[in-house]
Amino acid sequence: MTVKHVLEAELLTKTYTAAGRPLTVLDSVSFSVQQGNSLAIIGPSGSGKTTLLGLCAGLDVPTSGTLSLMGFKLNNMSEDDRAYLRNQYVGFVFQNFQLLATLTALENVMVPLELRGEKNVAPKAKELLERVGLKDRMHHYPTQLSGGEQQRVAMARAFINSPKILFADEPTGNLDDENATHITDLLFGMNREQQTTLVLVTHNLELAQKTQRILRMKGGKLIEDLSTQVSEPTK
Amino acid sequence: MIDYKIKINRKGRPLLSDPWVWRMAWRDARHNYARLFLFMASLITGIAAVVSLDALNNSLQGDIERNAKELLGADLVINSSKQFEGEFYQVVDSTADIAGEAELSSMVLFKNTGYTRLIRLVALQGDFPFYGELNTLPAEAYQQMKTGRYAIMDESLASQYEVSSGDTIKIGNTNFPVAGVVTKIPGGGGLTTTLAPSVYIALSELDSTGLVQFGSRINYSMYVKTASDESTEVLINEVEPLLRKYGYSYDTVQERKEDLGEGFNSIYRFFSLLAFVALILGCIGVASSVHIYAREKRDEVAVLRCIGSSGWQAFTIYFIQIFVLGLIGSAIGAFSGLGIQQLIPILFKDYLPMEVSFTLSWTSLIMGFVLGALVSVLFSMLPLVAIRFVPPLTVLRADFQSVQVWSKTRMVAILLIIVFPLTFAAYQTQSWLTGALFFAGLAFALLALSGVAWLLLKSVKRFFPSGAPFVWRHAMANLFRPNNQTQMLMVSIGLGAFIIATLNTVEQSMLSQVEFAGNENQSNTIMFDIQPPQKEGVIKLMEENDLPVNQVVPIVTCRLSELKGKSVESLQSDTTDSISNWALRREYRVTYRDSLHKSEELIKGKLHKRTNGKDSVWVTISEGMHENLNVKLGDSLVFDIQGVPLKVRIAGIRKVEWSEDPPNFIFVFPTGVLENAPQIFVTTTRIEDQQAANRFQQQLVMSYPNVSLIDLRLVLSTIQSLFDKLGLIIRFLALFSIVTGLVVLAGAIINSKFARIKENVLLRTVGARSRHITQITLIEYAYLGLFAALTGVILSVGGSWLLTTYFFKITFAVEVTELILIVLGIVSLTMLLGWLNLREVVRTPPLQILRKET
Repeated sequence: MTVKHVLEAELLTKTYTAAGRPLTVLDSVSFSVQQGNSLAIIGPSGSGKTTLLGLCAGLDVPTSGTLSLMGFKLNNMSEDDRAYLRNQYVGFVFQNFQLLATLTALENVMVPLELRGEKNVAPKAKELLERVGLKDRMHHYPTQLSGGEQQRVAMARAFINSPKILFADEPTGNLDDENATHITDLLFGMNREQQTTLVLVTHNLELAQKTQRILRMKGGKLIEDLSTQVSEPTK
Repeated sequence: MIDYKIKINRKGRPLLSDPWVWRMAWRDARHNYARLFLFMASLITGIAAVVSLDALNNSLQGDIERNAKELLGADLVINSSKQFEGEFYQVVDSTADIAGEAELSSMVLFKNTGYTRLIRLVALQGDFPFYGELNTLPAEAYQQMKTGRYAIMDESLASQYEVSSGDTIKIGNTNFPVAGVVTKIPGGGGLTTTLAPSVYIALSELDSTGLVQFGSRINYSMYVKTASDESTEVLINEVEPLLRKYGYSYDTVQERKEDLGEGFNSIYRFFSLLAFVALILGCIGVASSVHIYAREKRDEVAVLRCIGSSGWQAFTIYFIQIFVLGLIGSAIGAFSGLGIQQLIPILFKDYLPMEVSFTLSWTSLIMGFVLGALVSVLFSMLPLVAIRFVPPLTVLRADFQSVQVWSKTRMVAILLIIVFPLTFAAYQTQSWLTGALFFAGLAFALLALSGVAWLLLKSVKRFFPSGAPFVWRHAMANLFRPNNQTQMLMVSIGLGAFIIATLNTVEQSMLSQVEFAGNENQSNTIMFDIQPPQKEGVIKLMEENDLPVNQVVPIVTCRLSELKGKSVESLQSDTTDSISNWALRREYRVTYRDSLHKSEELIKGKLHKRTNGKDSVWVTISEGMHENLNVKLGDSLVFDIQGVPLKVRIAGIRKVEWSEDPPNFIFVFPTGVLENAPQIFVTTTRIEDQQAANRFQQQLVMSYPNVSLIDLRLVLSTIQSLFDKLGLIIRFLALFSIVTGLVVLAGAIINSKFARIKENVLLRTVGARSRHITQITLIEYAYLGLFAALTGVILSVGGSWLLTTYFFKITFAVEVTELILIVLGIVSLTMLLGWLNLREVVRTPPLQILRKET
């Protein structure tokens, strides 16, 4: 399936009820992302970045507004349908890695393909783990890995289903400089290799500037949409 | 924007045939053995309790079926309160083998020690038993007894009074050398030996004792052996008119089987209900451990949902784990139940009238297995269903709370959780009504316990002194830690405490009922079967021993021959009236006096004094018997007093406190009527100390061997020993509930271990020493044990008050020391568990935790 806009948001609004009062955390946000582009969402804490990422990834539904991912309108989909869509087209990298503690590194990476019902997925998972430099740590459990290693496993898991779009939430937020650089290189490198669209939430301006476009959020509103000088990913 | 909705075309596949969910279930379970074991442990205890009792019941019923003749010792037993008439004896003797028995109460003097005791004297004749065995130690003792003047006695009696073979005992006027002890006798054993220990002699020697006198209460039995069951039927039909004529009753193998079977069924039902309580606690344990487990899995489920797992897929992963472990736990529980089944007859051998053989009960085994599978599915369903609705957004926002979803599955699970215990209770009791009542009772008890636990926690939180030392405050705060299951633990452990404390309080109340020997000026010794010529002598003996003569009461034995103008025979054959046959046929021991005794109150009518011989005879009747005989004021009765009919009328109805200052009577005649009738006397006195009692009893037995004496102190110790036996069984079952509670506690401890370790690392970082951490943890578990025990004990005080006041109708008495001991026992157990957990918490280096946390 070919769609021009991998992600398209129109007047997205999200309201929660806190202490019995409605609290608007996202207010009429509209934007779209083309296939293969990279985009960073930045802003201070509480500006609505993570809420926006969660909505875009179909992890939550907006209170109003519409959202389509890979051409599929998410608003009316059931949670299970959205899960299926994520499994087919979406990859995730989280700040706190979110590996399954009871699975080895290899098993963690295999899960998305296993969920698709694919057979013989171990070779591909091993290849990806090799690619992220964890050839010798495949059978280790998350608690036996360092933070940087865990994030690399998470990267391999995110890319194993060749996602059309990758959502990353502060992917270097929990890492030291050295590991952060390593992860950033991997993220953008693999992104280029697989021609994935990248949507990234970060506080780190340096990281944000590596993307083609920056959305600046404040108080739940999109206040700025900037293009950076980064060239288009190689196709 | 593409303005259309594309229907997602997901490949549908039955969840349980999806290899991925099985693979994930296995991968995940590898790391959760300890937690899942606790789920199994709850299940195992519950299933083991149910299976052990069900299998024991099956074995017992089988044994009763096989050994009924051995229990009776004959094909037919005929009973009479008089010696059998020659006419009757000849008819039976011509067609069957006969053995005879006479049974009466008598005093026995143990000559080696000088102690005396009221016993059940059994005089045997012929080849009793025809079925089963009468075993003695030494083996030839029974044969020796039959040959002449020898006695054998129950093993427990011999050991209590330190009697051995060759010692001499005095019964009535006669000395009997002891030939040995009885280790097994048909129909004996069990509680019989506790309540009425027996001494056996040959029937031919009974007369020599001088105990068979006028007024002696002797039960005669004729043991009959026929050629076949059919011959028994024929014989019964043949002697039926004579049975009626002489008022004999009889007992057949079939009746004994039914009585015993019914008796055991009632006991089984009672205990199976206790097992049911253990199972329900197990269910609560299952639900609680799965609830904690599911909560712990929330983050992992959110990740799975994030990368594409459906809600049902995530649910199925954990459902498979629970179900498979449920099956394993059920199998272990069922087999453990069979193990316990073997243990029960050993523990309770004093309680059972026969040896219980071990039979492998497949039905119990299968029932346990199916029950376990059912319980594991039902009680884990509700917490597991929550997994389906874990929002994937949790990966981004850990504190994100989804709204409660009332899915159909959840509704069905709740419905089944209510229906299951109800159905199971009905199955156990074989009655929907009883089952429903029990279910409601249990639900009420759990709710009440829950309520007390809640109130206790609330009060403690509110009134705990804010200025208390840090470790005490911190330990208290720990009780309210999320996932700590404090209230659940209080209910579960509290239920065990409740059962044990209630049993104790009821026991204490019963004992204090008999303990009127306390400080009040009441009689504690009753002498009966005193012949008229002996009356003065006995009174003199009492006076010589400085004993008060509290009562001297004449007793006349009689039977009813007419009631309200109808003969007893016609009333017996009339099935339309509500008068019990036993009330019509029993022997009445009546007295005569013109005033009320202090234990009596006239609630209807008045006392009629007889002024001359021509007046009607007006008697008073006890409240209970007035209902049983369905008589009212003015109704007439005819008594047969030693062959002389006497017509009387009901003048009044008395309320009698039977336990207060006995003897008390059903019928009381006025004076001037029975003075010349054949009668015996009862006297009562109060003996302060045991030595004086022994001395007096010895003198009494030596001078008046036919006079029997009841020492209420002995009754007290008999009740105590009865409670010891009963209590053992109930405590054994209460233990199940405590064990289940502790299993749940262990679950909560394991689940909170990491949180606890992290917290302790923080405490150590800010300067807490190991000593502080040890104190905090131990105090926390002491609180938990204390509150749980208090929950049970508080409720038990209320429960036992209700039981003693309305069910047993006795005065409520609490032994505070016993209750304190129960509380201390439970506190020690919880502290022990806490201490076991503590060792790892204290030993774990902080760095290891910080590493784990990342």
